Amino acid sequence: MKRRHSIHNLSLLALVALLPLLGGAGLAQTLTMAMSAQPDTLDPQVTAATAAFQVSKSIYDTLIEVDRAGVLVPALASSWAVSPDGLTYTFELVEATFHDGTAFGAEDVVATLDRIRSAETASPKVNEFRAIVSVAAQGPRTVVVTLSEPQPALLASLASGWGAILPSEKLAEGHDFGNQPVGTGPFSFASWTRDNAITLDANPDYYGGAPSVDQVVIRFVTDSAVQLQGLLTGEFDIIDTVAAADRPAVETNPALTLVREPSGLVLVAGLNTRRDYLSDVRVRQALNLGVDTAIVMEVAYSSGSQVGTFMEAGSPWYPDSVEPFPYDPEAARALLAEAGVPQGWTLDMVLPQPYEEHILAGQIVQDFLRDLGINAQIRIVEWGVWLSDTYGGPRNFDITVVGHTGKLDPSGRLTGLGDPRTNYTGLDDPKLAGIIATANITPDHAARQALYTEALERIHEQAPFIFFGTPDRVYARQANVEGFWMTPLLDSFDFRDAALE
Amino acid sequence: MPRYLLTQSASFVVTLWAVLTLVFFAVRALPGDAATIMGGLDATEQQVEAMRERIGLARSLPAQYAAYFGGLLQADLGESLRERRPVTTVLLERLPVTLTLAGMAFVLSLLIGLGLGVLAGLRPGGAADRATLLFTTVALAIPEFWFGFLLILLFAVNLGWFPVLGLPPEGLTVGSSWNLILPAVTLAIPRAAQLARLARARVLEERSSDYVRTARSKGLLPNAVGRHIASNALPGVLPLLALELGGLLTGTIVVEQVFGLPGLGLTILGGISARDYPVVQGVTILAVTVYVLVNWLADLAQLVADPRLRAPT
Repeated sequence: MKRRHSIHNLSLLALVALLPLLGGAGLAQTLTMAMSAQPDTLDPQVTAATAAFQVSKSIYDTLIEVDRAGVLVPALASSWAVSPDGLTYTFELVEATFHDGTAFGAEDVVATLDRIRSAETASPKVNEFRAIVSVAAQGPRTVVVTLSEPQPALLASLASGWGAILPSEKLAEGHDFGNQPVGTGPFSFASWTRDNAITLDANPDYYGGAPSVDQVVIRFVTDSAVQLQGLLTGEFDIIDTVAAADRPAVETNPALTLVREPSGLVLVAGLNTRRDYLSDVRVRQALNLGVDTAIVMEVAYSSGSQVGTFMEAGSPWYPDSVEPFPYDPEAARALLAEAGVPQGWTLDMVLPQPYEEHILAGQIVQDFLRDLGINAQIRIVEWGVWLSDTYGGPRNFDITVVGHTGKLDPSGRLTGLGDPRTNYTGLDDPKLAGIIATANITPDHAARQALYTEALERIHEQAPFIFFGTPDRVYARQANVEGFWMTPLLDSFDFRDAALE
Repeated sequence: MPRYLLTQSASFVVTLWAVLTLVFFAVRALPGDAATIMGGLDATEQQVEAMRERIGLARSLPAQYAAYFGGLLQADLGESLRERRPVTTVLLERLPVTLTLAGMAFVLSLLIGLGLGVLAGLRPGGAADRATLLFTTVALAIPEFWFGFLLILLFAVNLGWFPVLGLPPEGLTVGSSWNLILPAVTLAIPRAAQLARLARARVLEERSSDYVRTARSKGLLPNAVGRHIASNALPGVLPLLALELGGLLTGTIVVEQVFGLPGLGLTILGGISARDYPVVQGVTILAVTVYVLVNWLADLAQLVADPRLRAPT
């Protein structure tokens, strides 16, 4: 009996210790989120990692941002005007203060855009700003950006994480933004213990009004089982990954809420169009017809919508004219026979570790291909190897599975397709490349949309991929967490309106 | 003694240089580098090349090798390619976590392993011996990651005695070292089992030796005989103990991942997947140093504990 007692006392103690985490009334409110990936750096100009932008969104602001509906809305720029020729962008700026106390103004925008364009920075996003000829301040609150050719995607780039505005004074000092980020954002950087946590403090002087919570703690938890356990014990308020098998349990738990919304991903099996038989468009179409992508989406990605071209389902750019390929193994066999593909044709299927869902998808595709008399041999490689040997470099693969992340503007997704040097499928289609290049510099929205539609229809026909679909973005939170959301397409975390009820 | 120290230090330097050279080329032999990985799917070849230039990977391999070992002579471990800060800073941030974890696990495995081993060896076939056999068989068969999850489920989720994540957001503090108990137990159990087996075998061996029979026949109390046996048997366990300590470092890789502990294990894992060469090399230096140091200490301890080894000189 005595022993029982001490156990009770212990758990009571633990509970008391946990109380601040739960955020009772009157205490400082801390919101804790578990995140599966970790930023490589918090300098938004030297990274391409989604994880970096997911976090940096709270520290920095951009001139423009996307709202919950995916529409571009004012942020640090209260308004903007584009000249009729599409070559001059004029931004009017709001009044805001950086976390180091300096005032935000036109000089900061100039210094920021100069830095990302400089060769020394070596930003992986530099191409998105390549049309910029000059960035100039006109007075303290106006910035004029001049382009060499129209680039309608510029606004989208400025609204993405890599468009973050940095303080000019710190830039001049060569400040280490990667480890000590300073922005105008709703939260200021407090600390980062790598592989453990990033702590952000609410910025009471935020130009858009102070956030409701006092502190946000982002914990790095790779394992989805541990994330869920932490959600169940109340250690985490939000977790960014819920394994398919755990979703029903979260849904039926009244203390938890499962959030399921469309993501910006396009999942595909990339086909190396420079390899035997795969260079034949009939063979590529046959593979699309011979794989039941509805099964792939359901089993490997546990949800989502199918697509028939290289654009996420639900995008305003997705052409109404393009349907997903139907599952028709008879038609697939006929096309393969027509193309002269022998029975027992062997394919090198390369799948990236540690993406379990892509590996599973590859195994399902392998089964469907076996039905067509094609022998896909799976080779699982580590991510770094995949990037340098499969996706880049010698492109050692016949077929591979990967997800392409969302972009605010279709140019981000499509640029490079059609040119064998810049896309891993090696698709050599100058006509397609030409349509995309023209669309990228067409200022008129309707004309631009028509061009992208033509391009996406052509991608459907050329089938350099087996098109799978767009999965749902699934995360979970405590039922008392209100107002948290993730940016459409970019998946950035927005804690500004987050509150613990 | 000074001569012993000198040869030991020389062999340490040679070992370190050899291992480090091996690691230096091995990590670079892996396809892909930090720039390709940071560039991800979106960066073009030219952009990746520009990033390579910025982080100093564009130089030739011999130039990198010379620069790295030149820096080492001045105690400069270089800069992390991913974190853009000195490797020394990175290591100093992580070392306390791993040292505390390994230290706790070592003490635990020592207490459990030697305790069980001696108990089992003194009464072979008895209840303690059979229990130890069961324990060692199960403990050696259970994978660490699974056992760790089991402990989390029981003590963190069901009982709520510990947080699910190893450490609080601010990292290792005096208060939070208590949280390392579960990971330390996970790490200690299989090692304790190995120690128990060896200790039991050594005790059994001693038990059948002449002096024990003599001691028994002259009517020495069992407890006193036990003490004699233990003090003769245990020095033989020391080399294994040293190996165990070194092995703890590799064990922490798995355990740190299960419990999300920001120690050296996660550092080297992350370093390899990000191709952060200087960080991988930095952890290697630490690991080699610890390994050599521990073996050296074990040698010394054996000298102290076993007078027979000292006799000839």
